[in-house]
Amino acid sequence: MIEAIIVFLGLAIVFGLLLGYASLRFKVEGNPMAERIDKVLPQTQCGQCGFPGCKPYAEALAKGESEVNLCIPGGTEVMIQISEITGREPKEMDAEAAEPKPKEVAFIDEDLCIGCVLCIKECPVDAILGATKQMHTVIQKECTGCEKCVPVCPVDCISMQPIEITTKNWQWPEPQTVQEAK
Amino acid sequence: MGLLQRLATLLPLANHWLHRFHGGVSPQYNKSLSASQPLRTTLMPSQLVLPLQQPVGLPAEPIVQVGERVKKNQLLAQAGKDPRKALIVPIHAPTSGTIEAIMPMTLPHPSGLEDLCIVLKPDGLDEAIDNALQVDGSAPQTPQALKDILLQAGIIGMGGAGFPTYAKIPSEAGKIHTLLVNGAECEPFITCDDLLMQTHADEIVRGALITAHALGAKRILCGIETNKPAAINAMRHAAKQLQHDNLKVEIKEVATVYPMGAQKQLTFELTGVEMPSKAHAVDLGMLMMNVATYAAIYRAVTLGEPLTSRIVTVSGLGLEKPFNMPVMIGTPFVELAEAAKPKVALDYPLVMGGPMMGFQVQNNQVPVLKTTNCILANPPEPAEMQMPCIRCGACMDACPVNLLPQQMYWHAQAHEFDKVEKLNVFDCIECGCCSYVCPSHIPLVQYYRHAKSEIKTIKAEQQATELAKQRHEFKLARIEREKEEREARLKAKKEAVKQEVAAASSAATDAAKPAKSAAAAAAAARAAAARKAKSAATQAESPAIPPARLKAIEAAKAASARAAKQTAEKSPEKTQQAGAEDTTLDAKAAARKAAQLAAQKRAQAKVSGNIEISDNKESANTPDSKPDPKAAAKAAAMKAAAQRREKTQQAGSSQTAEASTSPKTEAIDLTGSSEATPASEKEAARKAAMAAAREAAKARAAAKKQPVSEALSAAEPGASSSEVAPDPAEAARLKREKAMQAAKARAAQKRQAADNSNAASDASSQESSS
Ligand code: SF4
Ligand code: SF4
Ligand code: SF4
Ligand code: SF4
Repeated sequence: MIEAIIVFLGLAIVFGLLLGYASLRFKVEGNPMAERIDKVLPQTQCGQCGFPGCKPYAEALAKGESEVNLCIPGGTEVMIQISEITGREPKEMDAEAAEPKPKEVAFIDEDLCIGCVLCIKECPVDAILGATKQMHTVIQKECTGCEKCVPVCPVDCISMQPIEITTKNWQWPEPQTVQEAK
Repeated sequence: MGLLQRLATLLPLANHWLHRFHGGVSPQYNKSLSASQPLRTTLMPSQLVLPLQQPVGLPAEPIVQVGERVKKNQLLAQAGKDPRKALIVPIHAPTSGTIEAIMPMTLPHPSGLEDLCIVLKPDGLDEAIDNALQVDGSAPQTPQALKDILLQAGIIGMGGAGFPTYAKIPSEAGKIHTLLVNGAECEPFITCDDLLMQTHADEIVRGALITAHALGAKRILCGIETNKPAAINAMRHAAKQLQHDNLKVEIKEVATVYPMGAQKQLTFELTGVEMPSKAHAVDLGMLMMNVATYAAIYRAVTLGEPLTSRIVTVSGLGLEKPFNMPVMIGTPFVELAEAAKPKVALDYPLVMGGPMMGFQVQNNQVPVLKTTNCILANPPEPAEMQMPCIRCGACMDACPVNLLPQQMYWHAQAHEFDKVEKLNVFDCIECGCCSYVCPSHIPLVQYYRHAKSEIKTIKAEQQATELAKQRHEFKLARIEREKEEREARLKAKKEAVKQEVAAASSAATDAAKPAKSAAAAAAAARAAAARKAKSAATQAESPAIPPARLKAIEAAKAASARAAKQTAEKSPEKTQQAGAEDTTLDAKAAARKAAQLAAQKRAQAKVSGNIEISDNKESANTPDSKPDPKAAAKAAAMKAAAQRREKTQQAGSSQTAEASTSPKTEAIDLTGSSEATPASEKEAARKAAMAAAREAAKARAAAKKQPVSEALSAAEPGASSSEVAPDPAEAARLKREKAMQAAKARAAQKRQAADNSNAASDASSQESSS
């Protein structure tokens, strides 16, 4: 009887120590779920979800502190992915735009720009180039199309324009659509 | 072999035993349509359209003006940036004429998109610049020498892909051991290479020899399909005649099967080396180029001719008189098709390339490119009904790359692009064999093309997303870092102030001698004086009057006298307040001006010096940097103003020092309590205090950044004209020091007057001990 207790106590201590050691040794830095969610978010950094960027939203989701359907640029697709990762019920997008619009990038009318640097401060990805009292311009390649710079411009010189299609980014149409068109 | 060939004519299946690679098809070739006709003379088109954008790389930059007259072979556009990186090849004029426009025109591209093109109106004279590339005609000895000529000549792969040839050639000699010549023109209808081999075999062979010589290749293999006997003969003849120090072109007949002319398939056929999926032939020591490219190399190297024309097949079932013709690059398709006498009006789209791999152009006016080998006019046939896949596996058997077309189709139509990619869709050469054999008439290649562009877009988006994430995180980190830096600066300044306090108290013992320490001296003085005042209040009795006191009094008097000189006569009591306000405003404005100047200067310096985005951002993103000096200056000015107001009030009510904490207040009290001092002198002392405050504000702004000092010195009023230091920073420091001394002196005098005792010395000694 006493031997059994001792043996099990010993085992309990050994495994307890092992587990304790393992939890220290193989500690995962950060929140893996937040990372995974962050991966599926569109990284537009637009703040439409109510968080100051995609990562804070991902972190809030991982903690279970926010709804799964807040990322508007991501749309239903991202919402479903989020609910899969978090294991929560998918929820209808409430504020989804009528139809997903093609990606747009900001464009600064360089004749109107007064060089107020307001848009630079707003841009989450540093995609605007300029300096005080100097004309500003958008690095189109880096613009995520978050539209945050549009309202801050005091002279309304920023507009969102669809990306120009060139022979470089042109896509072959899908065969069905070809047939329907005919 | 012969037996097999005879067998193959009877039994199409036997075709597969004639070649090494898997699959392939034997379509209706229709080559005799154009091959039976002799090469026609070049047609002079009504206009030439030269797209700045080549099939590969970035667009070239035009160097001619609209309206300029150009000669044949003249350079029209070239790479603006480093051409080796951006894969830009120059564009030359195919004939003499006038540049009519540089405007967007429809490109011969499946999208039908428009892009900038140079439009040249030929004058019909065909005046040429001879040896436009200025070569000496000798064979280049190194790969680099050859590459330079090829780049200047604007030679790109003329077989189809249009990859710039100079970029394809490795720069180290000896890396290529086998040079391959692609004379296997496998697409139906196309005979331009056939005709080129028949008529210019020597140029091809010479071009191959030049290339092999420059690259140090040991062997030259030329593969020609068996359905071009005339070409094989001509090439054999030329190869025999042009043997070059142990180097000769070996002509090999290869089976007539589609797609024999594809690079990997022909390489396998000629050398028995099957190329791995991701590898390039160059990595395996082999380099394959089209016969037309070799001919162009020959013309560039020995005649200095840039690539401005090529042989084009104009054929198709819709044409009465198909032909081959050396065509100027830029000739509109429709003019060539019209020259071949179309059976019915050309109201259907022409095809660029062959029936298997070509595409319909959106506009028949599109120009011939360096890669255009065929213009096909096949009247539209009723599209075959597409049926569901019956999983017959015919596509799999036909695929020359050993892919699984049916699987790829399945996933592509389900939009499971990751699975399509896993099935190696990027190895698909879009040869069209699978679509050709499919009994259900599924446009398989279309699915693969779509899937490829989808996958590319998805990849690009992923990259953009990753980039956006990184940049966002970088921005957050930067803001964080700047905040920390600002705090650190603030802390450092506080430290400096503390040290100053210590220094100041020791310096107070010898006020006439300028103190050496510089930073934030006025602030230090104020703080010190405040503390002294406190101690003076608490320690009413103090033992001895040090000689320093006398000196301090003198210094204070000197300061007030200087200030008085500056100040106009004002009525003692009434204007005090107004004067104080004025100076406050002055000080504020000066400080702000200085800060603004500083900010501007910094911004300018950064903009001009550093175009790197993040730095630029930093300068432009002034929330951190700009407000710093401004805020400091403003704060200083405001503080000074507050003190001054306090001062004036106290002066009015003749308050004693006990309640006050400000050195200036004390200074005024001091002047007020010393009986001899008239009201005007009081005013002067106040002015001196204000000047001190102003300078303090400026000094603080100056301490922020080095470049500010210049702006500062410009903004500074000539309060102290006695010291004209060459270095503005030095001048500012001297001023600060003087102000400090004055403040200290005032504090000392004040204390003495208020207590009528020796408090000041005691305070200073206490200060230095603390
Ligand atoms: S709404 Fe979506 S894209 Fe915008 S910041 Fe939030 S998670 Fe990012
Ligand atoms: S440029 Fe404007 S739209 Fe584009 S990422 Fe920056 S703030 Fe958003
Ligand atoms: S188009 Fe692609 S999949 Fe079809 S046969 Fe050719 S290589 Fe194979
Ligand atoms: S050839 Fe056509 S029908 Fe046959 S398996 Fe391939 S795709 Fe399906």
